[in-house]
Amino acid sequence: MRATLDAVYRICGAVAALLTAAIAGLVVAQVAGRMAGVLVPGADDLAGYSLMASSFLALAPTLRAGAHIRVTLLVRHAPPARRRAVELWSLGFSALVMAYLVWHVVEMVWDAFRFGEKSIGQLAVPLWIPQSFMALGIAVLIVALVDEFIRVLVHGVPSYPDDLEAQEVEAAATPAGDR
Amino acid sequence: MDITVVSLVLLVVMLLLLTTGVWVALSLLGVGLIGLMVFTTAPAGKVMATTIWGSSGNWALTALPLFIWMAEILFRTRLSDDIFSGLAPWLTRIPGRLMHVNIIGCGIFAAVCGSTAATCATIAKISWPELKRRGYDERMIVGTLAASGTLGILIPPSIMMIVYGFVAEVSIARLFIAGVVPGILMVLLFMSYVVFWAWRHPEKTPPTDIRLPFRERLWASRRLIPVGGLIALVVGTIYSGVVTPTEAATVGVVGALALSWLYGSLTWTTFVESVTGATRTSCMIAFILAGAAFMGMAMAYTGIPRVLAQWIASFHLSPLGLLGALTVLYVVLGFALDGISMVVLTSAVVQPMIRQAGVDPVWFGIYIVLMVQVAELTPPVGFPMFVMQMFTGRSLMYVSRAALPFFFLLLLGTALIALFPDLVTYLPNKMLNR
Repeated sequence: MRATLDAVYRICGAVAALLTAAIAGLVVAQVAGRMAGVLVPGADDLAGYSLMASSFLALAPTLRAGAHIRVTLLVRHAPPARRRAVELWSLGFSALVMAYLVWHVVEMVWDAFRFGEKSIGQLAVPLWIPQSFMALGIAVLIVALVDEFIRVLVHGVPSYPDDLEAQEVEAAATPAGDR
Repeated sequence: MDITVVSLVLLVVMLLLLTTGVWVALSLLGVGLIGLMVFTTAPAGKVMATTIWGSSGNWALTALPLFIWMAEILFRTRLSDDIFSGLAPWLTRIPGRLMHVNIIGCGIFAAVCGSTAATCATIAKISWPELKRRGYDERMIVGTLAASGTLGILIPPSIMMIVYGFVAEVSIARLFIAGVVPGILMVLLFMSYVVFWAWRHPEKTPPTDIRLPFRERLWASRRLIPVGGLIALVVGTIYSGVVTPTEAATVGVVGALALSWLYGSLTWTTFVESVTGATRTSCMIAFILAGAAFMGMAMAYTGIPRVLAQWIASFHLSPLGLLGALTVLYVVLGFALDGISMVVLTSAVVQPMIRQAGVDPVWFGIYIVLMVQVAELTPPVGFPMFVMQMFTGRSLMYVSRAALPFFFLLLLGTALIALFPDLVTYLPNKMLNR
């Protein structure tokens, strides 16, 4: 079970990273094509979809890396019991909001599939295909949130860096932008 | 129900969620959801799904992961070494000597990098040990590095400008060009302060150990050619107006990869690390933007922004009065929030206000970037401060005290662009066909 879940997060992270690289690849192809006088059809749309899919698939791995930002002003120096309560509350609340969202996203995807909705633009992609990535990414995030919730319940600490201050310093140590 | 009550309830809910440690993106989604479910008859779930879908995968945002990736690649090269060695021989005669390398070095790196943490860490990586070894005043090294690191988001490219441009629907290319003059202005202000400080405390600047004749100084400058080439590629192509920010970012990524390959630092590990890091950061930002898009939509359903803008208008504040009030608000917010959250959280309410008051949204973009820079120098959240804390092993309070003079210089810079708006708007207005 543990190994399966970790593999799921890892695969999502890898595909998301691949899609980030794909955005650069698409733009290179487009610019090269323009220079050679060839129009690469729908490269803009594909780049947009890659960004969207990458962002949603990376949600769970980013949570586990502790890279989603939160305000730590009042919980920083909290004793372990309070910190545990904070984690359970924020994980639980987040899981509920995302569950409500995924329900309606799946409904949206199903409608797009049922009515054969196509995207506007050069590539008339059936909308349910890119939208499925959104649903999948959110679903995996919910799994990760519940996974962490259970972990905090059992072990008292989440798998992402539990010292909120250390997490920020570590985040800054690998400069990945302005979180 | 009275709309004032609705606004207050939602504000309290937002503060509760944020302060109890709920992730910023999820706090925004939560507030939006509660706003829609409790105070409107709109189908909350359907609005949520379609708004988030509509705001994701926007083509304009594709520049975001690419610029972050570019910085991640460059951080893993010896570009910082080159910048230091190329600049140092020229700056030994100015009062404050190598302290100026921190400021100009960050200013130069900021022109290929869009984030404050990466700018600060890249220059500090080489500058901190070199200046410390030579016996420069530690507090001033820390202050100049932390403060100059914030130039990363003022001098284009800039992650913060992409985010602002996206939420405020302003051209990102225009924002980039608008940042050039204020960026140079801040570099000059920081340098002037260092000169003044060195003149007041002559004993704190060690004598120089680099003495090169002019020709050799020129020869040392060859090491600035790689970074100069990248700047020309990225900023030059945007300014020429022939490419979009996304294309410029891609050119930057390809250039950074080529440079990394030439330096011999391009390995499979550094490649994977850089792209994974960029994906995470861009995911974190995209999630906040999706949350903000939904909250903005929910707010529009409740009618709060319109009423609020009318309320503000009823005070008949002059644009300068409004900006003064907003500056106080942002400085206070800066003590609690990081830059991106600050920009997206306030935009739904602040945008209608400033447009009402006739403030140019491009100018306001630069203003808000300066406010974010101020916020990054105030504890407890500020990425350049975290970086310097890590390098020095000092406390956050020490770092923020060291950066305090620069906090005031940033406010002075803000006042200057408010009094002389042309500093911001002249260049973008000269850009053709936009």
